[in-house]
Amino acid sequence: MKIHALTADEALRALISSREGLPEKEALRRLAEYGPNEIRKVRGKPLYLRFVAQFTHFLAVLLWVAAAFCFLAEYFRPGEGMASLGLAIIAVIVLNAVFTFVQEYRAEKAVEALRKLLPYNVKVRRNGVRREVPSSEVAPGDIILLAEGDKVPSDARLIKSNGLMVNNAPLTGESDAKARVAEPAEGEFMDSPNIVFAGTLVVRGGGDAVVFATGMSTEFGRIAQLTGTVNPGLSPLQREIIKVTRIIAVISGCVGIFFFGLGLAAGMGFWHTFLFMIGIIIANVPEGLLPTLTLALAMGSQMMARKKALIKTLSAVETLGSVTVICTDKTGTLTENSMELKRVWTPDSGNAAQGKGRRMLMVAAVLANDAVCEGGRFSGDPTEVALLRAGLREAQIKSRRLFEVPFDADRKRMTVVCEFKGSVYAFMKGAPETVMAVCSRTSVSDALVPFDARLRSEAAKAGERMMDEGLRVLSFAYRELGSDWQRGSVSGESLEKEMVFSGIAGLEDPLRDGVPEAVGKCRNAGIRVIMITGDAARTASSVAKLAGFSVSAPVQGSEVEKMTDAELRDRLAQGAVIFARMTPRHKMRVVSVLKDEGERVAVTGDGVNDAPALKKADVGIAMGVVGTDVAREAADVVLLDDNFATIVSAVEEGRAIFDNIKKFVTYILAHLTPEAVPYVMFALFKIPLPLTVMQILAIDLGTETLPALALGVERPESGIMKRPPRQRGGLIDSAVLFRGYISMGIISAVGVLTAYFYVLYGGGWRWGVTLSANNPLARQAATATFLGIVIMQVATVLACRSSVVSVFRMGLFSNRLVLAGIVLELLLAAFIVYHPFGNRIFGSAPIGMDVWLLMVPFAVVLLSVEEARKYLARKTGA
Amino acid sequence: MYNNVLAAINEFTNSEVAAAFAVTFSRVCGARLILYYADEGKGKDAASHAEAALERLFAHAVYEGVEVERIVEKGSPFDKIPRQVSANSIDIMFMATRHEDASRRFFTRTLPRELMLSLPCSVVLARIVKFGMPAPHHILAPIRGFLSDVDKRAFFLAALTRGFGSKLTLFHMQEPLISFFHGEISLAPAQREERLPQDVRTYIRAVEAQGVTPFVRTAHGAGRWSVVTESALHRNDLIIMGASQRGLLREIVSGNPVEQTLRDTICNMFVFRP
Repeated sequence: MKIHALTADEALRALISSREGLPEKEALRRLAEYGPNEIRKVRGKPLYLRFVAQFTHFLAVLLWVAAAFCFLAEYFRPGEGMASLGLAIIAVIVLNAVFTFVQEYRAEKAVEALRKLLPYNVKVRRNGVRREVPSSEVAPGDIILLAEGDKVPSDARLIKSNGLMVNNAPLTGESDAKARVAEPAEGEFMDSPNIVFAGTLVVRGGGDAVVFATGMSTEFGRIAQLTGTVNPGLSPLQREIIKVTRIIAVISGCVGIFFFGLGLAAGMGFWHTFLFMIGIIIANVPEGLLPTLTLALAMGSQMMARKKALIKTLSAVETLGSVTVICTDKTGTLTENSMELKRVWTPDSGNAAQGKGRRMLMVAAVLANDAVCEGGRFSGDPTEVALLRAGLREAQIKSRRLFEVPFDADRKRMTVVCEFKGSVYAFMKGAPETVMAVCSRTSVSDALVPFDARLRSEAAKAGERMMDEGLRVLSFAYRELGSDWQRGSVSGESLEKEMVFSGIAGLEDPLRDGVPEAVGKCRNAGIRVIMITGDAARTASSVAKLAGFSVSAPVQGSEVEKMTDAELRDRLAQGAVIFARMTPRHKMRVVSVLKDEGERVAVTGDGVNDAPALKKADVGIAMGVVGTDVAREAADVVLLDDNFATIVSAVEEGRAIFDNIKKFVTYILAHLTPEAVPYVMFALFKIPLPLTVMQILAIDLGTETLPALALGVERPESGIMKRPPRQRGGLIDSAVLFRGYISMGIISAVGVLTAYFYVLYGGGWRWGVTLSANNPLARQAATATFLGIVIMQVATVLACRSSVVSVFRMGLFSNRLVLAGIVLELLLAAFIVYHPFGNRIFGSAPIGMDVWLLMVPFAVVLLSVEEARKYLARKTGA
Repeated sequence: MYNNVLAAINEFTNSEVAAAFAVTFSRVCGARLILYYADEGKGKDAASHAEAALERLFAHAVYEGVEVERIVEKGSPFDKIPRQVSANSIDIMFMATRHEDASRRFFTRTLPRELMLSLPCSVVLARIVKFGMPAPHHILAPIRGFLSDVDKRAFFLAALTRGFGSKLTLFHMQEPLISFFHGEISLAPAQREERLPQDVRTYIRAVEAQGVTPFVRTAHGAGRWSVVTESALHRNDLIIMGASQRGLLREIVSGNPVEQTLRDTICNMFVFRP
């Protein structure tokens, strides 16, 4: 049984109801049986569990373990400041957890925005009595009474229609009103003319309908369900961070265990060796990585906002840079959605400029039109505004509308009856095939002639030519009804016949500035751009051609409807890039199939029904100008200008941000070795403590952070949009590990130890002499280690500005933030080294300028080695 | 395989919808159908609703050419239904559950749970959330490994699919591969299909042997929303799941996916116990 295929009475019988409605008691019984008619909040993970999850991901666990080790060490060796380090690590975990948690509300907000689209009260008939009840109390079998301006509360089958027209935009994305009737219909349920859906709006007329689905069982509920539950999974960056932290954990663990074994073999005693192992592991934990990463993404989102892409989900900053496919709308995104009349064709082609056909076409364009011109300002649908503007440019037309058969998406035409030049005329506008179907005559050389097969064929070809140019095509017709015309019981059928065909107009929706260049950039960057539009295939193809797509045969929405996922996958694999006559419900399938194939997908959307696709995509991009609240809430990015070129700029920015994250991860790894090596020396050779815990903290959470953040805003390197999208796992590889831990790390460690021993020996220390942590010489030596690491960080940050381009070619001043970061880093170091307060907090002591100068050659060596490596990399193309 | 079908009716419309499915199933199997109502003494109103439903269903069954019988007796369905099952050699029984039942954890102390655990025949528990559209257009049948009674399950699925001329999708959810360094690794559909367990393949062949060609879909995930989201995404209008009884501890800790789906479903759903 298909409810739309039944007659109204059969539908009532199937729902065990009647035209008089349900008895009150039965309505209540059904309400208890099927639940209230409301969009329920999807019961996801409870809020507290989601908050807890921020404390239990791998990096957080790693930091917890490090903090626990700190407290353990403090217990066994009190007074070394390990407890402070433990507390600082916990503070980092908490701050990050709170920051990330605050980001996670979009699902609820999107569903909340959906709930607002349903009405609060609704008129029903129960037991023959009309009454108003809260929308949540509507039950299956209830008769709802619909009138102009009402929102439909649930999915219902019409049993009576008085010219009912509904706007299904929240469900289908189509803004054109659709006529609804009570007669049975075949075909697809979603397109059935006797069904009204929850959340849609009655724009004209009225009618009675019997409810067959309520709450989450409605089509609207389906959208809410998908919006609330589809999950794009971890972002590429989150996956990368998992990998980075696990690699670091394994390296720290292995190094710790290795030295634990070494310590035991050297006869250091179990507890001493155990604490030594803990120290090594802690020294290897990059406490600053998480806050630096979060701040870098926040700064990236600021930069994107300046480019008119508002970032709602922080990880989207980088995810944009990793996308392999962009699924975009056409109208308003690739094009300006500001129509302009470009071509006019009439059968009177020899006299097109002045012929009657053309004159009447322009009159019809102005009168069969709902756009308004007041004080020179036009408002209304862009197509109608373009026609009105063009018509008024040619002549001032005075008229009064007497009657109208409004446009609807099924008939694809509208007709108005107007007083014009002392008589009464019917004027029609619509899709060529629907207008030509009701025309019997046309005007050639100012004379009316039969609209025969030859002229019809010429008109059809003219329309196709315009579509091939990417124009939107409309036809016009008229019929003189005579001055004595009376409205009476006139119907659409009686008016829309024997019309005189005027001609065809082609309207252009120009491409937005920069779109072909942006599409070209995507092509060079290996990103596939897929157009998903509700427009006709011909128009879509020609716009795609103008925009520079590598055009393939368009796939129609009706084909997608019939395809299995495997078939759709094949079409996408064959390079399909144009999807025409699509509705938002098809978009979700395209996105799902692409994601299933491992693509990283960005998708644009503006309608309510786009929300699930926006949530499902790796990056959902909502239109800020024309988008609905639901779409904006469901998206990760909101475009402030709705422009495709802005997406591509944001992708470019995202790629740069990923490169920059890679740079500062390398930079952070590079100082873990000089932090760990002195500690190994301390434990194995019983030298004075080379670096205090507070100094480690000052480096990891202080001096390191600002230059790392400055690396986060490094300008995109040239050619960033000429390379293919990055592969998974690109953040950290053996080259990054070698560069960070070994190459730069060991040079730094050698420099740092040199400074340490230089101060110790200079102060009269001899090998084997133990010094307490508070000994002035020991404090000076530890300060030298700290300062050495800071100075090597300066060289490292310069070296890390690019993995292949020489820092001198980039220009030392091209990233002023790096310079500012270095200056602040050195000022902070100077404060710790020379200020009594800094000395007290960090256990440091002032040291001479000779130590600063001693470190310079090591910094130069590090930079030189890096420059040599970059030179080789450029030569070999590695 | 199924010669005698029993459909339990009560005063609620969802039992009538569930019984309408039983009519179609009986027609496809050529089985005898018993429409049964146990009057618990809830009042005249309840009885008249149930009897009106019996009337409509009887007429529908006759129209469909099904050999049908009506039985109305007084007493508790907890006692009466098992006796009817035994007395009439019932092979399969259809019954409905309500919004209220589904809100109880583990369906404790509900008729559907008691009968599902105790009856010696196959049991179909119907959760009707969409009243007006009982003829399913596209059925979703989630499947897992370690299936028992493969032939019965395949027969039931195929009979309903054929009976309504529906499309059938067999949906297998897989845990993603986990690598220590890479975390979860998502596989492409072709790779997932290669990893289908042997008994799932056997089940697919058994369904095909019943003359139905199902679509097979695989996906990663095992969360509570996986099946409901899948049905919403592909516009399925009937979910058929196999009953599962987990260990108490496991149910308390991670829940029962069938129970969760039954509670959250947005389309009609059957739980089938062979």
